[in-house]
Amino acid sequence: MGQFFKEHFDRTTFLTSLALIAIGLVSIYSATFDKNAAASFYRQIIWCSIGFVLMIVTAFTPLRVIHRSSMAMYAGSLLVLAAVLAVGHRAYGSMSWFGFGGVGGQPSEFVKITTILALASFLSRSDTSMGNVKDVAIAFGIVLLPVSLIMMEPDLGTSLTFLGMFVPVLFWAGASNFLVVAVVAPAIVALAAIIGTTSFLIALVVIGAALYFFREDRFFGAAMFGMNAMIGIFVQVVYEKLPLYQQKRISTFLNPNNDPLGAGYNVIQAKVAIGSGGFLGKGYLQGTQTQLNFIPKQWTDFIFCVTGEEFGFLGSIIILGLFAVLLVHGLRLGYIVKNRFGSVIAIGIVSLFAVHVFVNVGMSVGLMPVIGIPLPFLSYGGSSLCSYMIMTGLLMNVYANRKEY
Amino acid sequence: MTTEEFGSARRKNILLAILSIGLLILVGRLYQLQYIYRDEYGKKSEENSIRTIVKDPVRGYIYDRRGTLIVDNRPSYIVELTPIDFDQKNIPLLASILQMDEESIKDKIKKARQFSLFSPTRIKRDIDFATLSALEENKSLLPGVEVQVESKRYYGTPARASHMLGYAKEISDWQLEKLGDYYQVGDVVGSSGLEAKYEKYLRGEKGFEFISQNSKGQVIGNFNNGKYDIAPKDGLDLHLAIDADVQALAESLLTGYRGAVVALDPNNGGVLALASKPDFSLSDFSGVTPPDVWNKLNDDEDKPLFNRATLTRYPPGSTFKMVLAVAALENHVIDENWRVQCRGAFVFGRKVFKDEHVHGSTNIVEAIQRSCNVFFYQLMLKVGLDPWTDYAKEFGFGQATKIDILEENAGLVPSTEYYNRVYGKGKWTQGYLVSLGIGQGEVGVTPLQMAVYASMLANKGHYYQPHIVQTIYNKLTNTTDTVVAEHHDIHISDHTWQLVREGMRRVVMEPGGTGGAARIPGIVVGGKTGTAENPHGKAHSWFVGFAPFDNPKIAICVLVENVGYGGSYAAPIAGLCMEKYLYGEIIRYKKPAEETPRAENGTRRSATMAAHASPAP
Repeated sequence: MGQFFKEHFDRTTFLTSLALIAIGLVSIYSATFDKNAAASFYRQIIWCSIGFVLMIVTAFTPLRVIHRSSMAMYAGSLLVLAAVLAVGHRAYGSMSWFGFGGVGGQPSEFVKITTILALASFLSRSDTSMGNVKDVAIAFGIVLLPVSLIMMEPDLGTSLTFLGMFVPVLFWAGASNFLVVAVVAPAIVALAAIIGTTSFLIALVVIGAALYFFREDRFFGAAMFGMNAMIGIFVQVVYEKLPLYQQKRISTFLNPNNDPLGAGYNVIQAKVAIGSGGFLGKGYLQGTQTQLNFIPKQWTDFIFCVTGEEFGFLGSIIILGLFAVLLVHGLRLGYIVKNRFGSVIAIGIVSLFAVHVFVNVGMSVGLMPVIGIPLPFLSYGGSSLCSYMIMTGLLMNVYANRKEY
Repeated sequence: MTTEEFGSARRKNILLAILSIGLLILVGRLYQLQYIYRDEYGKKSEENSIRTIVKDPVRGYIYDRRGTLIVDNRPSYIVELTPIDFDQKNIPLLASILQMDEESIKDKIKKARQFSLFSPTRIKRDIDFATLSALEENKSLLPGVEVQVESKRYYGTPARASHMLGYAKEISDWQLEKLGDYYQVGDVVGSSGLEAKYEKYLRGEKGFEFISQNSKGQVIGNFNNGKYDIAPKDGLDLHLAIDADVQALAESLLTGYRGAVVALDPNNGGVLALASKPDFSLSDFSGVTPPDVWNKLNDDEDKPLFNRATLTRYPPGSTFKMVLAVAALENHVIDENWRVQCRGAFVFGRKVFKDEHVHGSTNIVEAIQRSCNVFFYQLMLKVGLDPWTDYAKEFGFGQATKIDILEENAGLVPSTEYYNRVYGKGKWTQGYLVSLGIGQGEVGVTPLQMAVYASMLANKGHYYQPHIVQTIYNKLTNTTDTVVAEHHDIHISDHTWQLVREGMRRVVMEPGGTGGAARIPGIVVGGKTGTAENPHGKAHSWFVGFAPFDNPKIAICVLVENVGYGGSYAAPIAGLCMEKYLYGEIIRYKKPAEETPRAENGTRRSATMAAHASPAP
């Protein structure tokens, strides 16, 4: 029994996830302590228990059952997402909250899982090839379908995480460097074009070099380059034509210091919170930024500031270290696992977690624009926590079945 | 592609490298923020930080047509308490000054502490001057307690106009959810009448002041010398078409009754008066509404919160006869020579439809003058339902008038389609129509619709959408926007107008007319009385009319519920209101020689006189 347990139970994933959840609870308690949101802490504990059950159930469901039902779950989750657009009510300016008998749920969190499963199911088929234009297009379609629905909510941050998950999966499944560059380039060019003409030109040169270096077909490469140049010019023209207030919103998005009292306020306060934590932190429940509530709703997207301020550099490193262990372990799992279905699942989940960590922590430390996505396991939020715990269960499941073809 | 490429070691290593680089960048940045610059950020956090203070704008004022200020703002004092600065052992002292019990203060402080130790919380709103003085005397003993000034609505004229003006009150949870981003807990929002309809104009725009404070929550000063502060923008002023004196008179004349008065300027659709009784005191809603006041208003059988002028749906009685008269004449069903022999009742099938009097031989003008029911019973059968329905709709019945307050009932005009739906096709007979001819039965109207109808009769079919607000004045830009009222024509021949209006003239001006009580000294008045029977007691008394007859300046509708004849109650009220508007005062009790200028307290005096005036039957 003990041997079987050792062989089939993924302790690394299990323990790191639980450790991160525990740190999350401690931080949420601090962030909501002495404020009118104290109930959030108790609610999160309830969500933890629900998530734990979901995680265990997912971990011990036979992988082939999941495999067989993955397309059906994908289709079902898209229907729910479409229903949200039809009846969902507004929360924080977007419509992604779905009323389940008085409990807010965010179906897009669960669509992330089903999309990964659908991708895994498709990419693991023996006749699927990343050299085949049709197959690449289908893989794209699997991701773009939920993304376009989520964009309608509108929830830009969540949509971006889908793309952040998709590129590594595509790469993992055997896409050529050329294909990866072709997918990533338009986004980079568009962003660079908004920042300025100089950065646009630099981005174009880099992409041109990459396309040349990875060239497969000279004509196709040239067409790709031309398309990117057009996208950049188009974005610049559109941006110039936007009303001033919209331009300002975008420029604040890219550079928060432009608007220290509006949208940039959170970013500046977040940096002050983290920086003032110093090496060892101000001590639990002692963070003035946290306790004086300078960052609105910091128990959700800005939770990293709480740990940063109260536990300092040491605390931040411990959190990032735990994520590093989880991610590297997951990546290795994706490599050693014998069946492709499990392999794509592992890579998909690792990529998704990595995107969330990079963007969320990056935004808290002022390296990324403010995109409202949660920090896995730590941020307050029932549906996101449950979906991460289901993903943990999936990783554990893949681990248990890693030797089966 | 190929089996070797899927999940190859090379691909794993590349992803691992990207992951590691990403994590290292984050660690590097954290090292920079939390180690290298830790002192700098530590200092910033101590000096921190910026707190936003909302500055409320002054809500727009409301004036009547002569520029009399009818809705004003007065300062009101609120007691606020900042938990961190307040010593809990002072609770008994504070409680005795504010005349509150200690428990409720403790409770409020507890809630405030949960929200924030550093933000002031409201302990008591709208304190009186004695309390204010007592607080000032004990200021040194009560650190953390501050008195703030906010503005509250003040109604300075005798015109209450409760339903029309509406109230602005502290925002409720559902309003907060529905109205969205601009509002915060504790804000005042227009919730009925003009205050609700024109909320966006009246409220103004909030301002913001940014102050710096340290990590203990103490204020250091204005952030960046106030460079980023945004001044509040005061609300816009409304200038109404309302004549506050006529409004006050109408209200006083309705005192003790249930009813409504609506008066319009037929030349532009401006609402001169819109009164509904019983009413309520708007002052009860301008600060905090005590629950017992609220419950009392809600439980009152007479429904004082209900705007009878725009929401009641009653049969209009004989005031509706002109609709049928127009339908008959325009369709050439009859002409002015068609006569009916009235013997005091009309028998149709097995049913007897009665009349008040035996009118003898009657043509259409006399039938309107003397309100002969038998004439109109027979005419209804001759004209039929569809033409009647068409003209009722032409006169604006069965649809909202689109007046600029939100509370309005569309009323009901029965049609063939309606009867088929309610009773089934072929299951209703001509007998159902007979009562419609005299404005009884299913037809339902509001006093406002009746006033619009009166203005159409006054203006021979040329009419304007009724509107209370005439202009909106912006103090900041010194600009005035005029409310544009849609206007329409109903096309009816001059000959028909002449006959119908002649009937209405005779109602008031000639012996034998039912509306003689609406006469005004020196001015020709046109009108029509109505006595609408209903199952709730005595008949509703209606009057519609206009004056002066040849150049109408006012069109009016009066409804008094459950009192009896239209000629006895509604008509004299209408006469007094029109007189007040046209002369600026009530001149009928004066000796002709004594032409005094408009008296300062004219409104109150005339109201008392009116109360003594015994209505003629």
